[in-house]
Amino acid sequence: MSASGHGVEFTFDGQTIRGVEGQSVTGALHAAGQHVLSRSFKYHRPRGLLCGSGRCPNCLCTVDGTPNVRICTTDVQPGMQVKSQNRFPSLGFDVLGIFDWFHKMMPVGFYYKKFYKPRWMWPFWEKFIRRIAGLGEINQARGGEGHYEKLNLFTDVAVIGGGLAGLKAALEAAEAGASVVVIDDQKALGGHLRHDPTLKPTDFDALIAKVTSHANIEVYTSATAIGAYEENYIAVLQGKRLIRIRAAQAVFTGGAWERPLVFTRNDLPGVMLASAAQRLIHLDHVKISGPIVIVTDNAQGYRTAAQIVAAKGSIASLIDLRDAPPAADTDLVRSLSIPVQAGRTIVAAEGSKHVTGATVALKNGGERRTISCRWIVQAVGFTPAISLLYQSGCSFVHDDRLGHVTITKFAKDVHAAGAITGAHDPSRAAWEGRRAGLAAAIAARPGDESLNAKRASLESSAPPATAPGAAPAAAALTPETALHFVSPGGEKKKFVCYCEDVTQKDVFDAIDEGYSNIETLKRYSTISMGPCQGKMCQASSVALCALHNRQSIEATGVPTSRPPETPTPLGALAGRTPHFVLARRTPMHGWHERAGAKFMDAGNWKRPERYTSPEEEYKAVREAAGLIDVSTLGKLELRGRDVVPFLEQMYPNKYADLKEGRTRYGIVCDGGGIILDDGTISRLGPDRYFLTTTTGNADAIDSWFRWNLASKPEWDVTLANVSSNYAAMNLAGPKSREILRGLTTADISPSALPYLAVGQFDIVGVPAVVFRIGFVGELGYEIHVPAEHGLYVWEKIYQAGQSFGLKPFGVEAQRRLRLDKKHILVSIDTDALSNPLEADLGWIVKFDKSDFIGKRTLQQCQARGPQNRLVGFKMADDSNPPEASLVLHEGRLAGRVTSCRFSPAAGTHVGLAWVPVELGKDGTSFNITIDGIPHEAIVQDAPFYDPKGEKLRS
Amino acid sequence: MSFQIACPNCGVRPVWEFHYGGPVTSSAPPNPTERQWGAYLFDKPNICGEQHEWWVHRSACKTWFTAKRDTRTNTVLSTAMHGEG
Repeated sequence: MSASGHGVEFTFDGQTIRGVEGQSVTGALHAAGQHVLSRSFKYHRPRGLLCGSGRCPNCLCTVDGTPNVRICTTDVQPGMQVKSQNRFPSLGFDVLGIFDWFHKMMPVGFYYKKFYKPRWMWPFWEKFIRRIAGLGEINQARGGEGHYEKLNLFTDVAVIGGGLAGLKAALEAAEAGASVVVIDDQKALGGHLRHDPTLKPTDFDALIAKVTSHANIEVYTSATAIGAYEENYIAVLQGKRLIRIRAAQAVFTGGAWERPLVFTRNDLPGVMLASAAQRLIHLDHVKISGPIVIVTDNAQGYRTAAQIVAAKGSIASLIDLRDAPPAADTDLVRSLSIPVQAGRTIVAAEGSKHVTGATVALKNGGERRTISCRWIVQAVGFTPAISLLYQSGCSFVHDDRLGHVTITKFAKDVHAAGAITGAHDPSRAAWEGRRAGLAAAIAARPGDESLNAKRASLESSAPPATAPGAAPAAAALTPETALHFVSPGGEKKKFVCYCEDVTQKDVFDAIDEGYSNIETLKRYSTISMGPCQGKMCQASSVALCALHNRQSIEATGVPTSRPPETPTPLGALAGRTPHFVLARRTPMHGWHERAGAKFMDAGNWKRPERYTSPEEEYKAVREAAGLIDVSTLGKLELRGRDVVPFLEQMYPNKYADLKEGRTRYGIVCDGGGIILDDGTISRLGPDRYFLTTTTGNADAIDSWFRWNLASKPEWDVTLANVSSNYAAMNLAGPKSREILRGLTTADISPSALPYLAVGQFDIVGVPAVVFRIGFVGELGYEIHVPAEHGLYVWEKIYQAGQSFGLKPFGVEAQRRLRLDKKHILVSIDTDALSNPLEADLGWIVKFDKSDFIGKRTLQQCQARGPQNRLVGFKMADDSNPPEASLVLHEGRLAGRVTSCRFSPAAGTHVGLAWVPVELGKDGTSFNITIDGIPHEAIVQDAPFYDPKGEKLRS
Repeated sequence: MSFQIACPNCGVRPVWEFHYGGPVTSSAPPNPTERQWGAYLFDKPNICGEQHEWWVHRSACKTWFTAKRDTRTNTVLSTAMHGEG
């Protein structure tokens, strides 16, 4: 048997390797004689091919810059650059291999016990440990690993595992009319039958073809399910794509993990699982050269032996743990002249960088004999791959008769079939698959009576469930019954966990130190917490725990399984979801772009931060006029009989006396008196009210109002969120009235439209709602028009303003302008501890109202007296404290700066800061720390610009 | 968390389209002491088992409704508009 097909050249650690198209990287390396693939995590021991199926940590390499890729499930590609990991300077000679000589100084949990004394040494150790810990190196180039993406799938039935049981389940469900998604972690469907042809049913290839071509079935290969969450939400990693499946029904057919045996130097390159040997032969089409020793306790070992011989390999010896192997097994190799030694086990692998021999002994010890060999192939049983079932909420118990874990209770809408349930016999697995697929289809699409009849006839034709050979005893595990997991003799260099280099001695030491529960043992020793996530070590660690605690495996329990089931790059979780990210643009957005605006994000909105320079824009507003797009404001319209009592309840100030055509500033508080938002409340008609909220809190306030309305269904209030219905712009500055006068026939004189009035009239022929308010402290008009006319009105105002010196201004200029007036920005100048009494908004809280949300708490705050105050300050020097600078008083943290900008009006930097009340009086000095140096700031109660508000009211 | 909630308006949707509003509590005590008022504001029950809760379908219809949920399994047993369920 030899590989055929096109040759493919790639490099491994710089050395050119020739493989064959369709071959795995490990297969090509095996053929090239490169048997060391990595260095182990802790002791830097050489490691080689172990599982060959993408589960163990031994073949983690950096492939084309992406670290920690399992090269056993990666096909060779021309020009691919593969680099080994965790070695310096090379795989062949690793200086940190010295740790292997000092393993006595690195006992289990050594990092908890060392390095913290003396304390001053820790910074040294930390640097050292950080450099040597971890696997692989992250590609730090931006986008160096390419883009990660997400895919969402919705299906009636998800089948996780494309082996015999999964294929039967998928086909049965699809034939019953259900939509089906099949997920498999290998590159092709077929499960273990791909590499175990002896077991393959004759119609197997036809079954795969049927599934692949079925109209109701979608197949995803090289896709690993990494987590199963509530209600069959299943996360799947497929290369650089995260697939999220929502399935009405899930069928788990993930099979079983072949498990290694624990014996001395069982981690040497050359020691592999039977399935790895089968994969080399049947999938990579490479020869295993040199004498092979097989250790087994079931039919798998005999099948593998026969297949190796058929592939021109040579078996030095077949060691069977059982005293009397059944004839069904021995018949498989009878004619092949393979020396079978029953009632024996392997106790050690010999060699330093590769296997040179296998030491075999009777099970109870005694006579030892070393057989010269190059490979040790172990076939000592399977662990059902139950982690996803566990995450789905199923319950398990260790079945001593079967020798592995079985499901005692299924979670809702969850099914399982095949080796995952212990059904290793193909006919039983196929039947279970059909049964599960049919049950899932019936549950997903109830109502088809013929399916129930089919189900009844299927149930009556069940093939028997057969137990595999191995059968540990029910009571306390003894060294004799533990042989299926661990060989006798010695404790050192018997590796239980390959990922974290945990040996049998480490496990026993940890138990002796008191970590005797399987869960605490796992945390302390880090066993099963590495890249394999327990696939190699779970069974043997539970067995060793049982053995050392002198208890049964059942009493030892099944360790909790959590997502991710396999190592998952953070990129996959964080991957881009452009179609789920809202970018909101105002109707005037295109104009801003053409005007050269620099945009900033305000929630989902894109807002012009500046057009030219904030200084120029500021000057235009103060001296002539400016125009800013405020379409992003939240806008709510309220109608109904009970609007007034509702507003009285929602806002701390009064609205019962708000006349038609007038607007009033307001803040919203929660029950704890905390400021949620601010905005304006305007009465547009007898029973029609119009509210604005800040850009950032628009959704939150909408929701807050709806919640309060939902809890009082008896109220006659209709709330409509009209935020997107209106475009809004603020025309502000001393020239703004003159500009607007040319665009409307309405009377906008100070007497007709005074400060805080609302007018409804046409501007350039477009119906507008115009509010006389001034956030920036000038004569100003906030103009709301139907969104579709926003751009038109904006352009007309802009054109009309040109002869008056009008400029568009952005958010940055607006922030400077408002700070001159000490106008606060909720959520910037306030936080989740700010109440209006302390935020200098006490005037707005009307305690003489019967009730409002927050009243009771604010009354208590009032009675206790304020602790802090939000004050305006100006710097005594020319320093510019960044936002969030600290206020220190008598050496203690006393407050912080929330906003600060240079104010041309004040001639210095001005801002807002939270300070204790004793520092908050007008004229008081306090210190703001900038880069560790205190700078004097002076509290000022009056606004820094137009303190009497004459310009605003003009 | 990946369970699903049946919005009375929109039907069954994944939980991340919703926002949790806490357990449905009785209205404020009439003349509370400071301690009672603090407890009313901040000490929300957190029942291990079936709990009556506020939810809002924030990513879609914005409707506030109530749900009965088993907090041990995140199974949503029923949903209704407030006062109807």
